[in-house]
Amino acid sequence: MKPFLRLPFCLIPVLVGISLSASAQTVVSGRVTDQRGRALPGANVFLRGTYDGATTDTTGAFRFATTRQDTATLLVTYVGYESFVRPIKLQPESTPITIKLTELANELNTVVITAGAFEASDEKKMTMLKPMDIVTTAGAAADITAAMNLLPGAQRVGEQEGVFVRGGSNLETKVVIDGMIVQNPFFSSLPDVQSRGRFQPFMFKGTSFSTGGYSAQYGQALSSVLLLNTVDRNINNGLGISLNLANTGLSYDHSTVNSSISATGYYGNLKPLFALVRQNIDWTREPEFAGSSLTYRLKPSKTGMLKFYGMYSDSWLGMNFRDPGSATTGNETGLINLRQHNRNFFTTSTYTDSWAEGRWLLNTGFSYSYDTDATTYDTQDFGRSSERAQVRAVITRLLGGNSSILFGAEAHTLTLKNAVDGIAYQLRDNYGAAFVESQFYVSRNLAFQPGIRAEYSSVIGQFNLAPRLSLAYKTGVFSQVSLAYGQFYQTPDYRYLYRNTALNFERADHLILNYQIIRNKRTFRAEAFYKNYAALVREFTGAPYDVNPYRFPWGRTDNSGHGYAQGFDLFWRDQKTVKGLDYWVTYSYVDTKRLFQQYAVLATPTFVSNHNVSLITKRFFEKISTNISLTYTFTSGRPYYNPNRPADSEREFLSDRTPAVNNVSFSASHILRTKGNLIVLYASVDNLLNSRNIFTYRYAADQNGNPNRVRYAVGPQTYRSFFVGGLIMLSKKAKVDVNQL
Amino acid sequence: MKTLLTSILILLFANVVPVHAQSDQYKQAMTDALNKMKTQSEKTPVPDMLAMANQFERIAGVETKEWLPRYYAGLMYVYLGFMGKDETEKDKFLDQADTNLKAALAMAPDNDELAVLKAYIAQSRMVVDPTNRWQQYGPLFQAGLEKAKSLNPNNPRPYVLEGTSLMYTPVQFGGGADAACPVLKQAAEKFATFKPASDLHPMWGKEQIEPMLTKCPK
Repeated sequence: MKPFLRLPFCLIPVLVGISLSASAQTVVSGRVTDQRGRALPGANVFLRGTYDGATTDTTGAFRFATTRQDTATLLVTYVGYESFVRPIKLQPESTPITIKLTELANELNTVVITAGAFEASDEKKMTMLKPMDIVTTAGAAADITAAMNLLPGAQRVGEQEGVFVRGGSNLETKVVIDGMIVQNPFFSSLPDVQSRGRFQPFMFKGTSFSTGGYSAQYGQALSSVLLLNTVDRNINNGLGISLNLANTGLSYDHSTVNSSISATGYYGNLKPLFALVRQNIDWTREPEFAGSSLTYRLKPSKTGMLKFYGMYSDSWLGMNFRDPGSATTGNETGLINLRQHNRNFFTTSTYTDSWAEGRWLLNTGFSYSYDTDATTYDTQDFGRSSERAQVRAVITRLLGGNSSILFGAEAHTLTLKNAVDGIAYQLRDNYGAAFVESQFYVSRNLAFQPGIRAEYSSVIGQFNLAPRLSLAYKTGVFSQVSLAYGQFYQTPDYRYLYRNTALNFERADHLILNYQIIRNKRTFRAEAFYKNYAALVREFTGAPYDVNPYRFPWGRTDNSGHGYAQGFDLFWRDQKTVKGLDYWVTYSYVDTKRLFQQYAVLATPTFVSNHNVSLITKRFFEKISTNISLTYTFTSGRPYYNPNRPADSEREFLSDRTPAVNNVSFSASHILRTKGNLIVLYASVDNLLNSRNIFTYRYAADQNGNPNRVRYAVGPQTYRSFFVGGLIMLSKKAKVDVNQL
Repeated sequence: MKTLLTSILILLFANVVPVHAQSDQYKQAMTDALNKMKTQSEKTPVPDMLAMANQFERIAGVETKEWLPRYYAGLMYVYLGFMGKDETEKDKFLDQADTNLKAALAMAPDNDELAVLKAYIAQSRMVVDPTNRWQQYGPLFQAGLEKAKSLNPNNPRPYVLEGTSLMYTPVQFGGGADAACPVLKQAAEKFATFKPASDLHPMWGKEQIEPMLTKCPK
């Protein structure tokens, strides 16, 4: 027995030895830094498959013990950095390990192509503007295009609707919703009256306003595209009522987990408003309008999204408009009565989906619109209609390192009709386009975006091929430079095509250089540009220059026009210096001349103002839950036609300038809650100083019938004006943000 | 045959049971981590909070069938989302909270506590930039709360988040003590009866609402 008894004793030291070495811990230590050797405190350093690990201290150092033996896999993770994996040998006297982590691509350390793009987006952090800014800005009257007109590159033209960008006319800007061109984004154009946009700002989650050099995904716009992306879900649920001096509306929203529906209806009549605010327009029938819309969204799967939007509206109005060119005995002032009944139907539906964890993306859409104006112009039928159907599909493939490539195509069929002096014109255009564009990151500091777009228009039987190229280089942690170049084509204005389909595309070439720095809620941005216009349509009327904005081009036309635009703009926004105060300043300068339309010589067009300045301020006063915004705009004088100067002299033609236009506008909104219902009250004053702004001058005959002797001014629809209204959300869950006001 | 079947069954259980059964090592590691977590507060420095999150993530790395370590790691990152030095850092932390939530949801898709966490992340995202984010994250916050309530009507934590959010929302926007108190009281009532499934399951919220309840009429 003794040996047996002894044996365990003999074994004890051995066993103890084993158990000692088994629990003998190896210490793993080292330091974690970024690529430049700066300490990364808070990194998680551990051995895969074990609980053993530690967090790095303020010097980036770590130290932990493990019972693991021989080999293990060391894993280092740190928020915002790529994970680090390395097999290590576990030895009692192991040397400290130094680990360098690589930062993941993010908005701060990766360059973005910004030349020519001005985005208002929820999704991207590095944008200068948020969608909410559109509705909270005084002077924009919650109108998307009016807000865009306060941005750098835009020029304000008070008596016409649309967006005029860098020497371009309003016809050179296209409005695009979810990729689909909107045929009639504004209420029907009236002579010398600015019409509002048809769409509510709250429909959109993101807006991108291009000042040129835009993506190959879009075309048919010589100057600019305004890209609007609709929201993916309802904001409120329940019934809403709005009432203001111009209209009354009802809305109802309902959402379920995978779908949502919104319906709106409104009726408006401007009679009460016009009774309170003196009008400079001679209305024979105050505008009256009624409309409705329906939005339906469905998420059929985790990745898919179907959206449908449809709207219909009716509007009526009548006005007397002065056209000296139509003066006759008995109607010496050339007063013309215009009556209009507009009907507009617009529908768009899109489907988006993605596969392979978002590496493949699909965007498809279908849109149909029908718009008709029953117009009588001086008792003659001046009716018109337009009908556009379009389909579009884009496939995007995301590649590694932020790079991507996309392919797409679109097809439109457009039918236009116009009655002029008893003649019925009609044309039909089948338009198709295909495009390829790639975003290619050489490094996080340098990106290229080459693209090409091919287009065909059946009405003129012409093709075009438009190359585009953008690049961006990051110059610092918060700053970058971008460059954009591109060719842009547009089918000539349909009014020319009614009488001449032998015309070719008009063309513009853009070159844009951009610098921006965004740091700590302050943004500075400067952009310089050069635009070349070619193949612009010229008219040879054989008659004196006609200033009537409703004129129809009767003369011979060709593509011999040309021109240029050059200039720069500056933008500064500061949301930091004064707590609670947000302000921004823009300055735009443009120098441009063109030979086009009826011009006999190269001249600065009548819609151009060389200098545009805007100052926007807003502040929310929490104690009284009131948001206040003040906007000042300055627009330098614009050329106007003086018939007493020779129209064929480059020195004389359009050499006169109107006085500058100044406007101070104010808006305030207040919100309160009673019995669970949310109420928003708002008031605004436009042209607070009651400036007698002048947009252009025209000439009429004097009392003795001598033509072009009396100059008269065309100004805004009203001088100082005010507007009040309110909104009630009949829902206990209605939530409103302070800045929605 | 019978013995064969029995031995197969034994083998099966021998393999399956230990995988599902929580190891003592896991329980111990979680208990240690949770005890440490209880000493944290809003005054805890960011590096210490990160160390806490790292500890849970290390456990999660080993225990790939347990949703709790991921849940707590996500919760730590939600706190960090309130603490980050600027918007970018806050969002980075919340991205990591989302990563942990996603991993936890893959294990327990219909869990009330994870629905609460989802709502909490949405709330923290919103707080980063309320002006521009309420539209996107407000509905997500609500949806998370609704889901948690429907999955487990007895869970007090959706009421904690809802009540706290209401308390700090100005009266004009539908918040204030009048709106918050009934919800906070509901939370307090539910805490009185709520029993967590184990010592490792979420228990937070009671202390958080107590100072707010003192502002409520009795």
